[in-house]
Amino acid sequence: MACKIKTDPGVCRECQACTLICSLYHEGECNLNLARLQVIKDMARYEFQILVCQHCDAPECLAACPSEAIVLNEQGVAVILDDVCVRCGACAEACPYGVLFYDEAHDRYLKCDLCAGRAEGPLCVAICPVGALTLEEDKVMEEN
Amino acid sequence: MTGGWTGKILDIDLTTGQISWRDTQRYTHDYLGGRALASRIAWDEIPDSIDAFDPDNRIIVTTGPLTGTLAPTSGRTVMSSLSPRLYPKSWYTHSTLGGWFGAEMKYAGLDGIMIRGKSPRPVYVEIRDSNVRLIDASDLWGVDARKTQLVLKERLGARAQVLTIGPAGENLVRFATVQHAEDNAAGHSGFGAVWGSKKLKAIAVRGTNGVAVAHPERLMREVLELGTFRIAPFSGALYTSLYTKNKTTREHRPVCSQACTFNCQVGNYGKARDGRRIPGHCVGGIAWMTPGFMKATHYSGDGVEIPPARNFGLCEEAELHELCNSLGLDSWFRLVMQPWFIRCQQLGVYQIRGFPFDPNDVYWFEQFMRELAYRQGLGAIFADDLMRAMDELEGELPEELITLGRRLEFAFGFPAHREGRFWDEEPLPFWVISAMMYASETRDPTIGGHHSSLLLADFVLADREVSRRQFRILSEKVWGYPDALEPTFEHKAPVAIWSQHQHILIDSFPLCDFSFPRIIVPPESREEWLATEDLTGDLDIDLRLFAAVTGIELSRDEVNRIAERAFTLERLMLARAGRHRQMEEEWLRPHFMLPCRADGTRIDAAGFSRILDEYFTTRGWDLEYGWPQVETLRRLGLDDAIPALEQYRQDQSRLITTKLRLPVS
Repeated sequence: MACKIKTDPGVCRECQACTLICSLYHEGECNLNLARLQVIKDMARYEFQILVCQHCDAPECLAACPSEAIVLNEQGVAVILDDVCVRCGACAEACPYGVLFYDEAHDRYLKCDLCAGRAEGPLCVAICPVGALTLEEDKVMEEN
Repeated sequence: MTGGWTGKILDIDLTTGQISWRDTQRYTHDYLGGRALASRIAWDEIPDSIDAFDPDNRIIVTTGPLTGTLAPTSGRTVMSSLSPRLYPKSWYTHSTLGGWFGAEMKYAGLDGIMIRGKSPRPVYVEIRDSNVRLIDASDLWGVDARKTQLVLKERLGARAQVLTIGPAGENLVRFATVQHAEDNAAGHSGFGAVWGSKKLKAIAVRGTNGVAVAHPERLMREVLELGTFRIAPFSGALYTSLYTKNKTTREHRPVCSQACTFNCQVGNYGKARDGRRIPGHCVGGIAWMTPGFMKATHYSGDGVEIPPARNFGLCEEAELHELCNSLGLDSWFRLVMQPWFIRCQQLGVYQIRGFPFDPNDVYWFEQFMRELAYRQGLGAIFADDLMRAMDELEGELPEELITLGRRLEFAFGFPAHREGRFWDEEPLPFWVISAMMYASETRDPTIGGHHSSLLLADFVLADREVSRRQFRILSEKVWGYPDALEPTFEHKAPVAIWSQHQHILIDSFPLCDFSFPRIIVPPESREEWLATEDLTGDLDIDLRLFAAVTGIELSRDEVNRIAERAFTLERLMLARAGRHRQMEEEWLRPHFMLPCRADGTRIDAAGFSRILDEYFTTRGWDLEYGWPQVETLRRLGLDDAIPALEQYRQDQSRLITTKLRLPVS
């Protein structure tokens, strides 16, 4: 595992820049439902929740997938192969953090891929103005 | 359309319950969106000679092509209607709010919502993508704005966004707001009362679609290049770095709009007694939660005495702020009414019509806010705002108090703001620019418009010589006159007109006026500012964001023409309401003849007339009424409006003749 996204919902202010840039990068439009992470406000308590893949060392989503549609890419990030996925939802159910999202409009599952292919790293981290999303480099990788 | 607009404007008739849609596309070429788009709908569809509370009045809620996208600060919404707050009569104006509602509208496929008629019973509008329903709101009538949102979020889901009125709007308080989220509001123009008159409690929207972007890569690049957590040009410079000589603060503050990635200094968190954070912005966040800031109401000059207002302490202010938002009152009422009641006490008046008051007591103040919202006790008199309360109380109170009340809301019922006298210090020449805007606009022009030029005044207050040097370079580049910001009376109309046009554009793309237009490079520290020779910023970033989203390349001249067209329509609606130069001059002149609190400068009657001459001439408007000339309308493609304007010129009975009743005029 190369790196993880660390969240600090205590400083989040729901600007949604992370979700907007995520959907823009992956889908070419600004659509909160197509983002690979979610920011939700509890208005009654004025508290925020940031739901984003924790990039587990032993991804339960990958283990749970019956059709081998979740694989580790070159960077060691678990990604969904949409062509192979049978839409059973086992991955979303297995995920302990609830961060694999079902996209109803397109009948598919969405998962953070750390902006695979973007050399500068994930865009949500780059855009977050308050440090509610930060990149945590894996120590083992750094030592190597 | 390749990106930006989602294509539809919803049209709801509350009288008949009829719901229909129209295409946005018929407006976008000439009016873009937001405030400019609303001006065209209003001109076409709000009937002549009606009052704000007439069922035929429209509530027009518009977004712009950038709303719902990543463009920084674009999550804004514009509301337009005839305003009941205006004095002596209603006319068309607008009010903008940040938050998340506009974006959610776009995600439901709506660029705008237009509401007409009057419902026989309380209703709310429920929008789930293309499914729109009017739902009985009897159970919500009387429920405060915060609770109403929580209830509707229960029904539609946490991601739903809600606009709602509180009890103040239901009871037709003339400065009632339409609220959204914690403290976003269409506040100043009293539109909450228009909603109340139509028995419209709320609009709740849940959209599951997106906003198409023509050039995603380009948009991401522009936004990342703008940088994140950079100082919003007209907030950081303003309150911290220039005055304190410290770097602007990096502490975490709330945002007031979706997609705002700036470090804005005009928001802050307060704390409720139960430990909850309460976000507040501008008048709420800064003025109320910053000890000492309320004292800026103090003014003394030419016999006008306005005492400093009182800050009640962080927790108390945060909770008052929340109560104000829950009741749905425009928090600005505090800046005029609290000093007014304090002055009453100073002059030995401790009760009005048997109702005792104590504006220095937080518990009385809290009670007074409730009375305003429910029109009880003293609130029954002041719910019609200070100007109308003064008419009601004339003869019962010392003349000084009546005069003071009228002076405090000199701007046709709007409180003073950035005009160099009562609130905010604007030295010469900034108050001259402000005066031109007051004389020609539909409302207090300086919320929004001031950030495009008037807030530069803060640089003068920080260091006169340094700012003067920088301003000569900036003025030459932006307005073509190096002396445009010199402390004189010449060449000020181009700055006023430029500011007005940029303001329309900001409200139409839309973007936040604390961050755009980027007339200056925002300095991160006083040292950085002092070392800067050329302060001029990136003035075309709005066009690049627009092009990235929509795929349409527009030049500055083209968008300025759109802005001028919309501004001209707004002026035509003022002409329709009977506002005219002579009246504007008579009402505004006494205020600007008072000494400027920053530098003591003032103007006499002839001087005031001259600055309006310069303004109207530069605009291509006539000098008699201050209305657009026929050639101006033709140049802007507004030929269809010419017959109406000609008719207004013929019809003298239309002109407002009410005088501003002050002892010396």
